[in-house]
Amino acid sequence: MASIIDIKEECALQVRNFDFTYKGAAAPSLKKVTMPIAKNAVTALIGPSGCGKTTLLRAFNRMHDLYPGNQYEGEIEFEGRNILDPKEDLIHLRTKIGMIFQKPTAFPMSIYDNVAYGMRLQGIKNKSELDGRVEKALQDAAIWKEVQDRLKHDANGLSGGQQQRLCIARAIAVEPEVLLFDEPTSALDPISTQGIEKLVIELKERVSIIIVTHNMQQAARVSDYTGFMYLGDLVELGHTEELFVTPKEKLTQEYITGKFG
Amino acid sequence: MTAVQKRIIVNKLALAFSTLSAVIALSFLFWILGVLVMKGVDALSWNIFIYEGSPPGYEDSGLKHALIGQLILVGLATIIGVPLGIMAGTYLSEYGKNSKLAHTIRDISDIMMSAPSIVIGAFVYAVIVMPMGHFSAWAGAIALAIMMIPIILRTTDDMLQLVPGTLREAAFALGAPKYKVIIDVVYRGAKAGILTGVLLGIARVAGETAPLLFTSFNDNFFTTDLNAAMPSLTVTMFNYAISPYDDWQQLGWAAAFILSMFILGLNILGRLILLAGKRK
Repeated sequence: MASIIDIKEECALQVRNFDFTYKGAAAPSLKKVTMPIAKNAVTALIGPSGCGKTTLLRAFNRMHDLYPGNQYEGEIEFEGRNILDPKEDLIHLRTKIGMIFQKPTAFPMSIYDNVAYGMRLQGIKNKSELDGRVEKALQDAAIWKEVQDRLKHDANGLSGGQQQRLCIARAIAVEPEVLLFDEPTSALDPISTQGIEKLVIELKERVSIIIVTHNMQQAARVSDYTGFMYLGDLVELGHTEELFVTPKEKLTQEYITGKFG
Repeated sequence: MTAVQKRIIVNKLALAFSTLSAVIALSFLFWILGVLVMKGVDALSWNIFIYEGSPPGYEDSGLKHALIGQLILVGLATIIGVPLGIMAGTYLSEYGKNSKLAHTIRDISDIMMSAPSIVIGAFVYAVIVMPMGHFSAWAGAIALAIMMIPIILRTTDDMLQLVPGTLREAAFALGAPKYKVIIDVVYRGAKAGILTGVLLGIARVAGETAPLLFTSFNDNFFTTDLNAAMPSLTVTMFNYAISPYDDWQQLGWAAAFILSMFILGLNILGRLILLAGKRK
């Protein structure tokens, strides 16, 4: 019954028959999800609360593994391998697939150290290389001008929107292939939201982006593809414009016209 | 009288009684501090810091031995107790979480916190002093450390749990291994709280007499030998206070004053650090 389009371009990720059940839950949170994620494009995941969109997002960098007892099956293909394989090197995977959270997660350290954190984890110690890459990441995240004079200041002194852009700078500094955004603007004001959305569109030149959002207008504004999820199923995946204008599934149409959710 | 009027009166009475109780409770604290300051400041002199103990009646007698001994004992206890307490708290918060073992450790630690300190002294006497055959600074410091560990363990556990889970996830999402997440992100986030716990833990044990009575015992002479009995402010204060000699009693007051100010200072410092951490 699901209507999933075939993506002609190259895919960054391929989800196949993915089931997910939280520890102690009777019913699975995701049921046989199959979904291609286009490369260098923005894919939005929409759907009412509890539909499984964040659960799916957190599967891509195996965040669920931090909490033992969750069960999953199926396949997520990335760079030619199944990243659900128990032998997958999660540290390596997470440097390739970065994540931006709902609330800004600036670490309790300086702005500079925040951005350098991921690179230092990879063993980069050279001061001039770090300096250069920190500056570039901050520029790419459109926050360099605001923070260039206070790189040594505590990152928690920044505003929410600035912190979120700092987190984006931190994530892109390690040059990932994919970025996962988990409702990145739900804690931000409209102007900061606009800034983040602009950034998301710019970033797809370099990375493939999956964004979970509660805000349908946001999905329409930033994404190339949109997936509508409901009760653990991926109901429909299509080009964003088509999905919002001529949805193929009745359920999708009811959701985007505000009949439920 | 209407029901409303009655309620207003009951309300005023309750307010009056609870305010009075608070004033009475606090007045004891200020009474104690007041007496201490009056008697203690009188007894203070430079000689106290220059001379060690001497038999009653001598001019040149002081508390140098007890002051240094106290610092050594508390310092040693801190070196033993703080790393153990912090690491155990880290286990509870970051690894054990809600496991049975973690809950058991938390319960036992809470029980230890309220264990009579003399029992801890007796325990250390049995397992360290008896086999060694003599009192020692080590034994005293270990007894104090045992008292300190549950306090630091519990505050560390609590403070680490206050660090938002998303901050940990964000570090993991950058490819950080767990120990790096704890050291770089969780500890940093909880720095002020942990430091406060450490200071309060030190303050808590610094005023203890009972665990030292038959572990480090006491002495009237200056020593830095950790394998011998070591004087402490608390036990010295006890000995001098119950002695019939005026000059010893004076020294006892001085010891009480110095000790109280030290502990009060640690407590205030701990709270200031916590406040400063919160304000950020």
